[in-house]
Amino acid sequence: MGELSAIGFSPGRSPLHRLDPRTKQALLMGLSLVSFWGGLPFLLLASATMVALFHAAGLRLGQVLRETRYFLFFLGLVFAIRTVTLSHGWIPSVSGGSAGEALTICWRLLLMVGMGLLLMATTRTADIRAALAWYLKPVPFVDQTMAATMVGLLVRLLPLILLQASELSDALRARGIQRRKNPLVRLERFTMPLFRRVFLSADELVAAMQARCYSNHRTTPDLAFTWRDGLALGVGTLLGLTVLLP
Amino acid sequence: MPIIETVHLCHRYADGTQGLNDVSLSFSQGELAVIAGANGSGKTTLLKHIIGLLVPQSGLVTVGGQSVQKDPMAARQQVGMVFQDADSQIIGDTVYDDTAFGPENLALDRAQIDRRVNRALAAVGLSGLEDKKPHHLSGGEKRRLAIAGVLAMAPRVLLMDEPFSNLDFPATCRVLEQILDLHQNGHTIIITTHDLEKIVAHAQRLVIMAKGRVVRDGIPAAVIRAVDRYGIRPPCSVQLGRGIRPWVS
Repeated sequence: MGELSAIGFSPGRSPLHRLDPRTKQALLMGLSLVSFWGGLPFLLLASATMVALFHAAGLRLGQVLRETRYFLFFLGLVFAIRTVTLSHGWIPSVSGGSAGEALTICWRLLLMVGMGLLLMATTRTADIRAALAWYLKPVPFVDQTMAATMVGLLVRLLPLILLQASELSDALRARGIQRRKNPLVRLERFTMPLFRRVFLSADELVAAMQARCYSNHRTTPDLAFTWRDGLALGVGTLLGLTVLLP
Repeated sequence: MPIIETVHLCHRYADGTQGLNDVSLSFSQGELAVIAGANGSGKTTLLKHIIGLLVPQSGLVTVGGQSVQKDPMAARQQVGMVFQDADSQIIGDTVYDDTAFGPENLALDRAQIDRRVNRALAAVGLSGLEDKKPHHLSGGEKRRLAIAGVLAMAPRVLLMDEPFSNLDFPATCRVLEQILDLHQNGHTIIITTHDLEKIVAHAQRLVIMAKGRVVRDGIPAAVIRAVDRYGIRPPCSVQLGRGIRPWVS
């Protein structure tokens, strides 16, 4: 189990670990939103901050990149689609302007995912759930406890799904799946058992939760806003303001 | 009055398999009972009915005289279940969170939850590992964490589904010790297994199931000679004609 997915909560005492989960969620939402308008100064500063926070939280950047490799392939695809154009005679060509634009888009997406991973790595699922319920409380017609539980379950299941995908991939390779040249056959052999296992695991998880009297009316973690949160929000706001820089 | 009782319990799965067929059993307070049977004999299905995770098609299950079907939450507060696959039972992000999950569901205050968690972790020898990720524990530690998660809810009865499966020798000894300690402290314990070797010497009762039915029920010394007829391997000491002996001294 040492190779367990890096995506998920990692216990620790870093500054991020000690922040109120509401602060972290506010920063994630705010910075994700402003990153749509973020230019080079914002992206550089935000990325440097993110790398520093990954380090402080005890996460190895190499492992995180390995765990998110499928998302990185997706980003590569986005980059290629936005950059490569087919001119007369179906000859692919790349323009410098569109490459720069595509790179910025991919960088913003990567930043958002990185911030999300930081939140998940430094915040207990129960805290994420409690903070989300706090945010949703004033929203009419939304059962905040139920919505927060659903998000909490997703966060809980995500590392499990990645672990099962990795085990399944190993098992398929051990039985020579790479000799199958048809990518659709490979996809089918991978996805069908994965779905089956994920649904079974979800079933078992629900049974285990029910067996321990799970209900929506439970003791939630105590949330406390301290000076650290004020400082973090201040730094986050300053970082967000760098989108105004040319 | 028995603490757990099943009366003419029947359950058929969606694919037509008869999971349980007319199972009538009762368990007394403080009993250590073993339910043995081959794979697919209905052991786990029976436990899931006792804790209200499955609903009987016919028959009745009661815990403390109350129908489980009518109030499953009340039954789950009195009966805790340790699942066969400890991994599937892990819910929390850390050892502390996982142990606290049950007491949090009972809406206890934080101080009480902390007390219960500390006591449960101490009882299974996992104190000091509160901040560790459960998935990084060894197989034996995970099984003990699953027991702690149930103990923190202070149940009267513990149901354990194949508690020794996939454990190495030292981990099996440790889990066995925990079970015997819990029994000495007054817990009612019902264990399902197809491997009698480890536990049968300590059990007061042995129930054999086959094809969803109870086929034998009595004190282990009387029932043990019939077990191989139902696909269960008798303990080595029995095969050697020395009767039932403890697995470890």
